[in-house]
Amino acid sequence: MATKKYWKGLEELNNNPEFVQKANSEFAEQLPVEKFLEDKSLENDGTNRRDFLKFLGFSVTAASLAACETPVNKAIPYVVKPEEITPGVANWYASTYFDGNDYASIIVKTREGRPIKIEGNDLSGITKGGTNARVQASVLSLYDSSRLSAPMANGNLTTWATADKEIGNKLAAIAAKGGAIRILSSTIISPSTKAVIAEFAAKYPTTKLVTYDAVSFSGMVKANAQSFGQEVIPSYNFDKAEIIVSIGADFLANWLSPIETAGQYAKTRKVGKNKKSMSRHYQFESNLSLTGANADYREPVKVSEHGKVAVNLYNAVAKIVGGSSLSSSALACDNTIAKAAKDLADNKGKSLVVSGSNDMYVQLVVNGINQMLDNYGKTIDIENPNYTRQGDDAAFADLVAEMASGKVDALITYNTNPVYTAPAALKFADAYNKVGLRISLADRADETASMAHYICPDHNYLESWNDFNPKKAHYSLSQPTISPLFSTRQAQETLLKWSGNNSDYHSYIQKNWMERVFPMQGKHMIFNDFWNHSLHDGAIEVGKGGDMEMNGMADSVKAAPLAVKAEKKKEEPKEEAKPVAKVDLGEAAAKIAAVKGASEPSFELALYEKVGIGNGNQANNPWLQELPDPITKITWDNYVTMSPLDMEGKYDLMERQDREASVVNVTVNGTTVKLPVVPQPGQARGTIGIAVGYGRDKAGNLSMRTGSVIGQNAYPFIQLMNGSMMYGALDAKVESANETVEMAGTQVHHTLMGRDIVKETVLTEYQKDAKAGNADEMLVTHSGKVKMSEVDLWDSFDRPGHKWGMTVDLNSCIGCGSCVVSCTAENNVAVVGKTQVMKTREMHWLRIDRYYTTKWPNEGKKAKEKAHEEGVGAIDMYLDMENPDALNPKVVFQPMLCQHCNHAPCENVCPVLATNHSSDGLNQMTYNRCVGTRYCANNCPYKVRRFNWFNYNANPDFTFNPTQDDLGRMVLNPDVVVRSRGVMEKCSMCVQRIQGGKLEAKKAERKLKDGEIKTACQQSCPTNAIIFGDLNDEESAVAVLRKEDERNFYVLEEVGTKPTLSYLTKVRNCEEAEFHNEHEAVKEEKAGA
Amino acid sequence: MDTLFKKPKKQIFAIFSFLFLSLIFSTNNAFAADGEKIFKQNCAVCHSLGSNKITGPGLAGVFTRVPSEQWMHSWIKNNDKMIKSGDAYAVQISKFDASQMTIFESTLSDDDITAVMKFIKEYKPKVEGPVVADTGNTGTPKEEGVNPLAILIGVIAFLIVIVAVLRGVRHSLKNLQNEKMGLPEEEAIGPWTELKQWISSHKRTTTVIILIITGGLLTSAWYGLKGIGVYADPDQKMEYHPEQPIAFSHKIHAGDNAINCQYCHSGVERSKTAGIPSVNVCMNCHKGISKGKLPGGTEEIAKIYAAAGWDPEKGEYNKPQSPIKWVKVHNLQDFVFFSHQQHVKVGKQECATCHGDVKTMTTVAQVKPLTMGWCIDCHKKTEVPGMKDNPYYESLHKKLAEKYKGQPITVDKMGGIDCVRCHY
Repeated sequence: MATKKYWKGLEELNNNPEFVQKANSEFAEQLPVEKFLEDKSLENDGTNRRDFLKFLGFSVTAASLAACETPVNKAIPYVVKPEEITPGVANWYASTYFDGNDYASIIVKTREGRPIKIEGNDLSGITKGGTNARVQASVLSLYDSSRLSAPMANGNLTTWATADKEIGNKLAAIAAKGGAIRILSSTIISPSTKAVIAEFAAKYPTTKLVTYDAVSFSGMVKANAQSFGQEVIPSYNFDKAEIIVSIGADFLANWLSPIETAGQYAKTRKVGKNKKSMSRHYQFESNLSLTGANADYREPVKVSEHGKVAVNLYNAVAKIVGGSSLSSSALACDNTIAKAAKDLADNKGKSLVVSGSNDMYVQLVVNGINQMLDNYGKTIDIENPNYTRQGDDAAFADLVAEMASGKVDALITYNTNPVYTAPAALKFADAYNKVGLRISLADRADETASMAHYICPDHNYLESWNDFNPKKAHYSLSQPTISPLFSTRQAQETLLKWSGNNSDYHSYIQKNWMERVFPMQGKHMIFNDFWNHSLHDGAIEVGKGGDMEMNGMADSVKAAPLAVKAEKKKEEPKEEAKPVAKVDLGEAAAKIAAVKGASEPSFELALYEKVGIGNGNQANNPWLQELPDPITKITWDNYVTMSPLDMEGKYDLMERQDREASVVNVTVNGTTVKLPVVPQPGQARGTIGIAVGYGRDKAGNLSMRTGSVIGQNAYPFIQLMNGSMMYGALDAKVESANETVEMAGTQVHHTLMGRDIVKETVLTEYQKDAKAGNADEMLVTHSGKVKMSEVDLWDSFDRPGHKWGMTVDLNSCIGCGSCVVSCTAENNVAVVGKTQVMKTREMHWLRIDRYYTTKWPNEGKKAKEKAHEEGVGAIDMYLDMENPDALNPKVVFQPMLCQHCNHAPCENVCPVLATNHSSDGLNQMTYNRCVGTRYCANNCPYKVRRFNWFNYNANPDFTFNPTQDDLGRMVLNPDVVVRSRGVMEKCSMCVQRIQGGKLEAKKAERKLKDGEIKTACQQSCPTNAIIFGDLNDEESAVAVLRKEDERNFYVLEEVGTKPTLSYLTKVRNCEEAEFHNEHEAVKEEKAGA
Repeated sequence: MDTLFKKPKKQIFAIFSFLFLSLIFSTNNAFAADGEKIFKQNCAVCHSLGSNKITGPGLAGVFTRVPSEQWMHSWIKNNDKMIKSGDAYAVQISKFDASQMTIFESTLSDDDITAVMKFIKEYKPKVEGPVVADTGNTGTPKEEGVNPLAILIGVIAFLIVIVAVLRGVRHSLKNLQNEKMGLPEEEAIGPWTELKQWISSHKRTTTVIILIITGGLLTSAWYGLKGIGVYADPDQKMEYHPEQPIAFSHKIHAGDNAINCQYCHSGVERSKTAGIPSVNVCMNCHKGISKGKLPGGTEEIAKIYAAAGWDPEKGEYNKPQSPIKWVKVHNLQDFVFFSHQQHVKVGKQECATCHGDVKTMTTVAQVKPLTMGWCIDCHKKTEVPGMKDNPYYESLHKKLAEKYKGQPITVDKMGGIDCVRCHY
């Protein structure tokens, strides 16, 4: 019995009646029921609680009953079906992509009248079926809802009639008082557009055209004018070059004509049974570019040293071939220069030196080298100039000065965005505001257009007619593949209208071609035939040597009144291009020697273009933003790249899968930009690199949808030097901003970690033994060592029909990412955005792994031996391996996609059989069966499976995904399912294309031809690195390669997955010693530094 | 539902007997019938027998307009020659339309032309309305805007009202009677109480009624579930036959008139979808055929004109166009890729294999379940008829014939049940 008593208070202890009564009632005080009922306002309320519950119950039941009905789908046919359209069948149209920067002859796939995919046009003599990432992504830019839906006047939407009337009146007034009208445009290679502008200039005689390219080649044009008396940029024949020396020219990704060059370059790099030689490529550069990553020899040099490398190379070549030398100073990389010079001299007429510098003097020296090497007329074709870069920096600077002084009364900007791209020093925006009438022909209210009085939006190129003359004798056409989505009007038609010519541009081009292009060719007798053939083929080549050239550069770059110039041109007989002129290079050498580099702690800045965003034209394109940079693998950002050696102790080195990067302020001449700094192995010491094309706050709605402007604008850093723009700066201050920010990189490991995922060798070893670097995987069994390919735990499968196979030539792959975007477009791959990429949730079915070499031997066993010798523990060894050689690593690219293993580890862990094997060797993924356990992804040794963590097609966090935009959805491939949340997906080897190709053959009752089916990645590859075909067809290219090419290997063959994909060993054309021992040298240098 | 043309045999019999009798009793008609055939083959595309314009003018009363029958004969034969010869009337009517009339000199003999002219001359428009002997039609056109359910509810409500009124009357009469007989007034009881009393006194009847109602509810629930695809018996017809915006009858077009399926569904051998014909395909024929034989037919054809923006009076497209929103009958899920050309062109399958005998359907119904099990079942049973002669399959067929000696080589053996054949 308890004897103690517990009480809460005295009342309880005393136990008085009042307390007892209170304790028995539930509430301490009376509930205010009466007061509540007295509230008359409640009586007026018609709904009481019970009613509410009744309604709730009813509506829930009704809603669920209503949902239980078979959905009624409507099928709405055309009223009048266009003859050429069969629903469900794609139509293809030849067209041309040119945005003032990239040129590509393309074919456009349309379904039910909407373009859904861009493919390369094999009939083009220039791009030869290749595309790059930007061209591939351009189809999405068509469906950009940020495009203007109608013309704008002073910030308000208006009609074309009103705009035309107002502008017409204003232009007439300006013309009447003799005021200056200027048209500012990026390079125009359309002969008809030039004719349109000439017509405009005839109506308004005070008109001048100024050509300005965001990334200009005007230094090169000037140099050629000095060397050869011709203001041209020659065509380069990389395919004829045995030795290629590039001084800062990123010719595989951006420089001049990258798609064409990549194809030519790859031709020289391919080796095989019948070709055991390849070109040798030297690269001198500051940033590690895509081109540098592919070089055999690469030397990091400072920005200030580019010219000096050219001079020293000139001297070294002159020493061998006999010639006077220029004044020079010694450089750290003189050994490599000497080596390059020797190779060059040994291959006179079969070599090529190019420079990415926009400095006339550097280009003069480079011209001198090429001339000494007798390369003109061989690897450099100055008689067939390339017209795609006509920008004139001096003319642009003059124009800005003219504008600033208020002398320009009207400025029409076409396909250019100088407020965004012009160097800070020019103060373009201020000068622009002083122009009386500002008209923009941009398709959106971009940085420049938003400051204009009138925006008269141009069609997207896929809605337009146009013609192109990218090179002498090469012509191509673009044709509309869709009716205009908005009330836009072709810029040329707009200009024609203002000139008082009401003809449509289509007939205008036709007329122009009839008069000028048609007579140049002799193939067709009737113009209609010629026109139809040209339109069908997309690109044509007319007879060479005709003097009917209508697109000479001279009449545009000089900003002379066009009408006058055009007349004048007819009188002048065209000069023969004779690369003979001798220019005194002494002055050039002196100017180059005078360039002073930065001294510590300042850095030298090198601006560059990324393969995705390029010059920023398509910054609003989510596919390009999500495309990882091939070198840093970072998406959705630009940043400062810096040598890890320069960063040590100051900034976060982002080691061990760290995503946090230090933020720095970069200041050049008073312009400051705040960006994260990323360690970049191979970056020249004392230099930093920043990509242009980012930080576009008015590119469109992408920044709004992602929550912030993507990256920072680096264009203001452009310096003016020797009369042209210098894409860099020699005195950049870098200061820590004491912040960190997370970067969204897709590849956190940098090296191969001593594994044999990529196999490589050197040419000399390959020539001796074709199997060099590709030793068979051996497995120890009870009967001794056996080739891995001969061991199998399971029975092999019967593949009676087709057996699809793909082989990727690592020697041809340049890592450009064209295939990644192509795959995205073909397979409706979702864009996931920066935050999800940070969580490794990017959806790309095809990625390109980039590996640096490490100071550790590539073969795992040797690495362990070495670690043992040096007394390094296993953990430290692996951590060390993760860090590439900071100074100058070798780089290898490996496209990684589903390997379609015959014994696929993913298949046998799937609890619902959502992934299994097809009878023709495809690892098939059935989305509607997948329940999302993700076991398969965990069990995949290649890490190629992608899981839909969210419903990217409806989740409001992913509004930037094209599928969430009514317009963006139009880009979807209707033959491929759009996956939803909770579903695993991966490369299907473009099974829709396989099925389509098979069906064509079946319908035609014939055998399937090799090469008839091309996967999206294969089609878009500018270097033909991907070969796809039927392994059961013994004559197919892929089967022949597997049989004959000793370089063939399977990734992770030792785990026994029996992949369907194979790779060909990468061969480097450098010396064995360098290949094997470079690591030691690096170590020493590092110690010395 | 399919009440129109329930008895096709009877209809055909009727037509045949009509034709037979006509043949016997009218020799003249044979001539006209010939003319009719020629007219339909050559003239009907451009000329109606009424007064409306198609491409050419309507031919009603044409012989009162033309100078002479001889003139008409030469005009049909070679109108170009007539115009060039400067014949006044010919020149005048050559301005009727920009498109020139076909020259029939090489295709029609003089006798043919005479027959056609005779046909035109003797043609009398048929009387509108249901002609039982002619078509065997027993159906009535569906009334629009009146829901049968609404009628039912109305009838029930009406009955309830009558019952209530009768109850009141009965109660009053009873009271009157009681009053007369001096009995105490009967207590007015509510209908509910009365019902309860009735139920307690008629337990057996009530049970039966409840059972009937429950049975009815269960049955409708069953059909409801079937309707949403909860249960599908492959052997049983699904019979999803939604009402279409135009009461288009496949029976009339594909059955009676024997128009090839591919005339309208032209994509079937070229595309993954067979395609629903666009309105301009309908207009190919219906430019000339503006009157439906069946009641309501003309109104339905008018809907095509409305969609196409065609003015049958003036014979030109001068009205706004609007597409016809057909209800899709054969729905496959979005994650299934099905190709008609693969099945029809390569696999040489009949349309009817999956779509049933559409030729007899007035309203198209889905007769096969279109489930994956049904697909696979067929793939497991079907030998591909086109396979043996198609060089594409040559080596595969050889290998499979060796592997499966003596067994039929069905689709599944060729990989026809691989997931990626349909899902990607």
